[in-house]
Amino acid sequence: MPVWQVALVLNLTFAVGLGLGYAGWGRRAEALDREFDAARAQVERLERERAACGPGARAGEQQWEGRGVVRAIYPQLLVITHEEIRGLLPARTTSFRAASTLREWIRIGDPIRFSLRGTLVDDAAVVAVERW
Amino acid sequence: MRALLLAALWVHLASCVLLVGTFSMLLLAGQPRAATPRRWDQTLVRGSRLLVLVALGSGVVWLLLRTAVFENRPQAALEPRAVWHAVLDTWPGLVWLARHGLLIVLGVFLAMRASIAERRDWLAARGEALTLATLALALMSASSHAAAITPGTTLAVAVDVTHVVGTGLWVGGLVALALLLRAASREDGADARPYAVLAARRFSRAALIVMLLLVASGALNAIAQVESVAALAGTTHGRLLLAKLVVLVPILVLAAVNRTRILPALSAPSVPIGRSTMRHLTAFVGLEAVLALVLLGLAAAMTLTTPARHAEPVWPLPFRLSPDVLDDVPTMRWRALLGSQLAVAGLVALIASCLVRRRRVPVLAGGLALVAIGAGVGVLPLVVDAYPTTYKRPLLTYHAASIASGMTIYREHCAGCHGATGAAGSLADLRSPPTSRRHAGEIFWLISHGIPERGMPDFGSRLGEARRWDVINFIRALGAAKGAQALGSRVEPDRAWLAAPDFTVAVGPLAPGALRDHRGRRMVLLVLYTLPESRARMAELARSYDVLSVIGVEIIAVPIHAPAEAIRELGSSPAVLFPVVTDGNGDIIATYGMFAPGPHAEILIDRQGYIRAIWRGGEMPQASVVQAQVEKLNDEKSPPPFPDDHVH
Repeated sequence: MPVWQVALVLNLTFAVGLGLGYAGWGRRAEALDREFDAARAQVERLERERAACGPGARAGEQQWEGRGVVRAIYPQLLVITHEEIRGLLPARTTSFRAASTLREWIRIGDPIRFSLRGTLVDDAAVVAVERW
Repeated sequence: MRALLLAALWVHLASCVLLVGTFSMLLLAGQPRAATPRRWDQTLVRGSRLLVLVALGSGVVWLLLRTAVFENRPQAALEPRAVWHAVLDTWPGLVWLARHGLLIVLGVFLAMRASIAERRDWLAARGEALTLATLALALMSASSHAAAITPGTTLAVAVDVTHVVGTGLWVGGLVALALLLRAASREDGADARPYAVLAARRFSRAALIVMLLLVASGALNAIAQVESVAALAGTTHGRLLLAKLVVLVPILVLAAVNRTRILPALSAPSVPIGRSTMRHLTAFVGLEAVLALVLLGLAAAMTLTTPARHAEPVWPLPFRLSPDVLDDVPTMRWRALLGSQLAVAGLVALIASCLVRRRRVPVLAGGLALVAIGAGVGVLPLVVDAYPTTYKRPLLTYHAASIASGMTIYREHCAGCHGATGAAGSLADLRSPPTSRRHAGEIFWLISHGIPERGMPDFGSRLGEARRWDVINFIRALGAAKGAQALGSRVEPDRAWLAAPDFTVAVGPLAPGALRDHRGRRMVLLVLYTLPESRARMAELARSYDVLSVIGVEIIAVPIHAPAEAIRELGSSPAVLFPVVTDGNGDIIATYGMFAPGPHAEILIDRQGYIRAIWRGGEMPQASVVQAQVEKLNDEKSPPPFPDDHVH
């Protein structure tokens, strides 16, 4: 085989190898990353749904855990400056619905751990509170 | 170990560079027909096979040594698992694998025995070898210092590839050309002389373009990797770069002599090509090639040193130039202006002496004299004292905790002589602009070593390094606080100059935040308050929090007393929902109290982290007044860059 044909075949091999390498490995790695993120989010959601399972639980209901400082107490609401609530809210100050029995011993400025239950942020309500 | 690593890298780099240059030189010269040039062609190809083996061998040695250095165990170089880990689990290892794969393919390709008598076969053989060698060399940039630059990695790597491949074309080509010229300058090499002259002329033209690319890419690399004069003169990486420039000067002189004197003498149509001139050219090109290989050694050493921008500069000179002198001593401005004009006139004369043949020597001498006088008149007044630590990077950030700690240390060790405010008697006012403008590293040196002639003791043995930086942060804050007296309660648009010291915001046991978390996102109204005096104002702030939040302001309240119960003491009517610092308020009060003393003070900090308005001494602005100042900040079109986290 003449040398120019050898050079041509060699370069074509490199080009095809690079193309196949990217198509078969590079793109697959990106897809696997995306699938992994989606699966992890699914597992976290299922764990929250399992935590929320109990008598009277609604379909799709989840449970989140949070820590924060009580900033204000209203008849139906509890305003809490909280850390990030994973899967629900970043760290900020938020008002949550809370039953009056849960608020009996709480005072403004108290650091607390709390559990939220609901299907999304708008209907999440405090279901348990304890001192931090 | 590092010397061995350097030697292995130099051999590897040099062999890869020579491979690229060899085949580029062959293609530049064209397919040889006469006997001597054909022997040269075959010699180069045989040498290339050897070079591939040397590159592979030195590459393997380099990998083994690098594994030992990374693992910090000499025996790791001989452990297959450690080497395997270094190759497959690190980015430089993968790049190494790809490059050596290409070198193996090149070696196999060069080992093929095939007929290259036809021109297209010869071109394909040499072109393919050049392509493979260039890819193997260029891939070095993928794991070089340039690949670590972010953002702009792609551009940095592209510039580095240009520099590396350009080096291959130039340095490798020089060696191949020197071999051709040597063959042609022999008694039996007459048949190669026209071919050699043609090759030298083509190389000279190509080398000019390559050298311009090398200078441009080298300058861009230096800007990215070195960043400052201090790093250039004060770090190993920077000094190696200076050494490269020093070696480059004689190379350029030799290249200029070859291009302007010897090559024209060989190319004149009426003159037969003389052996002696050819020998001169051989010697000069050979010397150029040797110097270029020294240059490669320096480049290899640079690869193994920390880039200058990340290294700690140690300033080598007892002086530096400070343009700030012009601000402190206005009369110096005229001298600087006069000196600069004389130097410019001198430079014009120097350029003219290069362009004009008549009276060249007197014009050159006059130009040099003018530049020297200009430098003496204009530059000498800018000379100030400097120390090895002048450009030392501060250990601590400009943070309220450090400033407060520095305040305590200052009161204990420094206030006796310098006074509580930093201005006492005949000693330098620590708050004055000349002190504020001194590099922090210079103040660090003076605190560490003292000024014996003025009776200032050294504190290097009494205070740890962190505590000395605390004092420097406090001294900077003293100067800033004095400057802040000019800052009122009205925002001056587009005049941000007073950096706000960072501080920690701790609300209860929640994970603490920091002032700098708001940078680029929200303004901060820092409220230092005392109860019960501030109760009405705090209630007003609680009511207007929604409005302020909508226009981009976060309120951070810092109680001057009783932080633990601060949230509870503010009560619930109206509810206070902005952050109230319940832990570590002392540092904030101590620091910001210097800027805004009083039982109640408010400080408006813009999105970039600069203090823009202060209400001090108990002044409590109405919500509408604060909103008006915030609107001014919202209307600013060109925000300044974020202030540096460290003092300088």
